[in-house]
Amino acid sequence: MSDRVDAYAAALFEVARAEGALETVEDELFKVARTFEANEQLRSTLTDSVIPVERRLGIVEDLLGGRAAPITTALVSFVVAAGRGRDLPAIIDKLIERAAADRQQVVAEVRAAISLDAATIERLAAALSTATGKSVTVKAIVDPSVLGGVIARIGDTVLDGSVRHRLDQLKEAI
Amino acid sequence: MERTAPRRGIARAAAAAALLAWLTVAGFSSVASAQEEPTEEHAEISHESEECIEKLEGGAKPADCHEAPSPILPETSELVWGIISFTVLVFAMMKFAYPALKKSMDARADKIRENLDEADRVKTEAQSVLADYQRQLADARNESNRIIEEARQTADQLRRDLMQRAETEVAELRQRARDDIASAQERALADLRTNVGALAIELAEKVVEANLDREANMRIIESYISSVGSSEPASS
Repeated sequence: MSDRVDAYAAALFEVARAEGALETVEDELFKVARTFEANEQLRSTLTDSVIPVERRLGIVEDLLGGRAAPITTALVSFVVAAGRGRDLPAIIDKLIERAAADRQQVVAEVRAAISLDAATIERLAAALSTATGKSVTVKAIVDPSVLGGVIARIGDTVLDGSVRHRLDQLKEAI
Repeated sequence: MERTAPRRGIARAAAAAALLAWLTVAGFSSVASAQEEPTEEHAEISHESEECIEKLEGGAKPADCHEAPSPILPETSELVWGIISFTVLVFAMMKFAYPALKKSMDARADKIRENLDEADRVKTEAQSVLADYQRQLADARNESNRIIEEARQTADQLRRDLMQRAETEVAELRQRARDDIASAQERALADLRTNVGALAIELAEKVVEANLDREANMRIIESYISSVGSSEPASS
């Protein structure tokens, strides 16, 4: 399972790098993975083997066509056509880790209730780099359940500064 | 068979003795009769008559002539022959009848003694059997009493155990009911606390959502950045 995910991630990484669109593909695939995780209907549709592959690829094309780079759409279609739609988020996360490692960086997945501008993301990356002692690249996700603040996850480390977390602590205290 | 042989001997001896006695008496009687010659008798009678006549002539009375024979005392010759016959008879009886009779009597006495001994032995055996039976009866009675006593003790023990078990079960049920009630109370209180907490948190979330605009959110994020940026790197 892990070997297969690594192999697909390596293949996608090499294709993206060969196409010279690694950073764009990385960002777009990251958004695709988070959308895929958040949307149960989309996940069940793209992983249902009863639905013909052409139909599933048509759905991918409808979702990404015109909104993402063609190479991003092609890579997602490749994974879905191979019947590995269920592993798509893991493959994408592994690809992002590999790309960050290629840049001598680690990936920080940052969730916030609002969209963050580039300056804020840059300050966040700098602060997380200082906190971890590593060069950090930030992947921001808008997650309304956070309520306020941010949640940063770097590998197995979670730095939770969200209002949700404080409310949960308050709930536990009560 | 053993009893008929002595009887036959006795009968034979008695018959022989009777025959011998008859022969003896008859023989001696005939000899005595043969010796009484009519001439001598007549001569003696004549002699007595002459003496009587002389007495009567001498002035005696007729009663003095005839002296009546004794009704008890027999004649001397008969007495002699009787003694001889009796002696012969006694001798014959001692010689022939008495040994057989003694042997028969001894055999009978032995038989009776054996029977008595057998009776004693049987009696002893019967007494032994009776003693055994009485002992067995006593043992059986003791055993039955012991079994009854054991059964009674077992029943008492069982009754006590059942009572104790029932009391224990009642106590356990009572304790369980108390625990259930306490647990239900605790659950109710915990549910109440949880519900109150959830309600409070939900209310707080609504308040936060209503009041946390982008600017306030950015202030929190800036505060987070300042906090994370000032922290020491985590040791790997």
